[in-house]
Amino acid sequence: MSSVTQIAPTPVAPVAPRGRGRRRRTRQLGWNLLGLLVLAVMVFPVYWMVATAFKPGQQILSYTPHWVPTNPTLSNFRDAIHQPFFWNAVKNSLIVVSAVVALSVVLAFLASLALAKFHFYGRKAFIVLILGVQMVPLAALIIPLYILMSRLGQIDKLTGVIAMYLTFVLPFTVWTMRGFLLGIPKELEEAAMVDGATRFGAFVRVLLPLVGPGLVATSIFAFIQAWNEFIIAYVFLHTPAKQTLMVWLASFTTLRGTDWGPLMAGATLCALPVVVFFLLVQRRIAFGLTAGAVRG
Amino acid sequence: MAQIELVHLSKVYGNDVAAVRDLNLDVAEGEFMVLVGPSGCGKTTALRMVAGLEEISSGEIRIGGKVVNELAPRDRDIAMVFQNYALYPHKSVYENLAFGLRMRKVPKAEQKERVEEIARILGLGEMLHRRPAQLSGGQRQRVAMGRAIVREPKAFLMDEPLSNLDAKLRVQMRAEIARIQQALKVTTVYVTHDQVEAMTMGHRVAVMRDGELQQVDTPQRLYDAPANLFVASFVGSPPMNLFEAVVERDDSRLVCRIGETELELPADVAAERPALANYSGRPVAVGIRPEDVREAAGWDGARLRGRILLVESLGSEQLVHIEIAATPLERSDLIDAAAQPPGPPLGVDDLERAVTLLGRFDRHLLLAPGEAVEVAIDPRLLHFFDLETGVAIPAVDVPVAAEVVS
Repeated sequence: MSSVTQIAPTPVAPVAPRGRGRRRRTRQLGWNLLGLLVLAVMVFPVYWMVATAFKPGQQILSYTPHWVPTNPTLSNFRDAIHQPFFWNAVKNSLIVVSAVVALSVVLAFLASLALAKFHFYGRKAFIVLILGVQMVPLAALIIPLYILMSRLGQIDKLTGVIAMYLTFVLPFTVWTMRGFLLGIPKELEEAAMVDGATRFGAFVRVLLPLVGPGLVATSIFAFIQAWNEFIIAYVFLHTPAKQTLMVWLASFTTLRGTDWGPLMAGATLCALPVVVFFLLVQRRIAFGLTAGAVRG
Repeated sequence: MAQIELVHLSKVYGNDVAAVRDLNLDVAEGEFMVLVGPSGCGKTTALRMVAGLEEISSGEIRIGGKVVNELAPRDRDIAMVFQNYALYPHKSVYENLAFGLRMRKVPKAEQKERVEEIARILGLGEMLHRRPAQLSGGQRQRVAMGRAIVREPKAFLMDEPLSNLDAKLRVQMRAEIARIQQALKVTTVYVTHDQVEAMTMGHRVAVMRDGELQQVDTPQRLYDAPANLFVASFVGSPPMNLFEAVVERDDSRLVCRIGETELELPADVAAERPALANYSGRPVAVGIRPEDVREAAGWDGARLRGRILLVESLGSEQLVHIEIAATPLERSDLIDAAAQPPGPPLGVDDLERAVTLLGRFDRHLLLAPGEAVEVAIDPRLLHFFDLETGVAIPAVDVPVAAEVVS
């Protein structure tokens, strides 16, 4: 630092702070503007969905866009809910999501325990595999999966969809949980074992509470994945009574055109649970993301 | 309470790395045994094997006469204090203390009684509802101790429990742990790398190096009669001065030649160490404790001439670094690396082979760096070691507990 000040020509020195300050402010302003722009791009589709849901039919289809729904209406929501199979779809989605969240949390905890705490043969290969399978595009798997599932008699069944969701939720959750577990000093479980717990008891009584934030983070991920998934559900669930909400949404698009108002109302309804769930747990997830950094 | 016996205990890791080699150690009932050694000497591994946290490669561990090799940690009825305390961060102090009791299905009322009693003794009464994160380092340390004590186990195992504390607190807790152990009379195995801790706390101290036991004895005897060069250099702070000397026979007398100076060994010294006569004409390693190095005023024996390099005042006394003409030890692998005298000698050019001698001198002596000085060395206070193996050349009444492996 001192050498820099020596080299700098003296007359410039008094001017520099102000110029630098202004430059910093301009740069900050630029970044803020960019941030706002990105926010607008991200938020606009969501806004358009919600706004459309409240617009009466002629406003939706008019050639001059109506930015704000003047005289909003709830008729689209009424139509959406009275659409056939809505309640079936809600029920199916809830079943699929709760099964996927519950199973993935339990399985991920156990699997990541194995990966983080035991040095079994082939552990490294397994870790690489877990990373690797996340890179395979889903579209490439649809046909093989379909053949596999039809041989297992799992076409048009929620159990089949749950199993498939687990296959692509688990690698991520296991990976994340492993990170959380690695952050916990091994002395903690050793202390528990010396204190009289079994190995598994130490996991459940000491490690499980400590990876709570990790469990929350991964369950959010599993929830969002399972709730929002469309392609697998669309391909594997044929019977309207067995379809999930996302597939049900697609039923608004028919050969005779798309019924935009009720579709947007339905989409808004479908987005609500995810938003609510996220708002409920977001404090914990923020805590969870930083928890590993602080030593216990 | 129980005695702990380690019999031919070894730990070998996959690729033939031996962490502990053929360790034999008996810890008597109620004894405070300290395992000490530089890092990587296998002391922690040995302790973890006793706890059951590390598998035993070969040998046997007995606690209270019962072989525990195959027992899970929970069935060994031992309590352990970890270096990082390993307090359960999500539990309150009370729950931390009660955890072991809960696991052992002690009735709720008794749990409460015992936890509160321990908390009172350790001065944690006010903090029972806090989380570990809200405690200071010293308080966490107390909770870790309390968690071990409250269980009333057969033995305490402590793995460097004080190393995370600042120097002042460490001295305080050192005394406290020793006091608690004396009050409870529970067999304790305590691991540390700090020889001061080892000396001050242990009833007996086991010095380890490279997975091998060097010597087990009371602190005083370790200090007075180190079994080999390693123990001599490891125990004591500042460490023992070590250098080479030649033993020569002059008529019937034995003479020890340090540099150019000849030190006559009195008949009783020679008689005490009969083996020394066999070394005549050969070099040996000679050691002298810093407090035995004296300023030569009034001394009528042989004197070593030297030059003061540095004076460190400690208040109660001064540490004086004196350069003398002598041959430095070439087998530095036999001594504790941390104990080697600092740096190459800087001063006198005419001394071809110089050794820095550390002396603890009276604080009233006026000494300045660069001054010439004469030191007196009482041959009765010298320690002799074989230069090849590092093993002490023993005095007859001092049995050597363990042999060094070269």
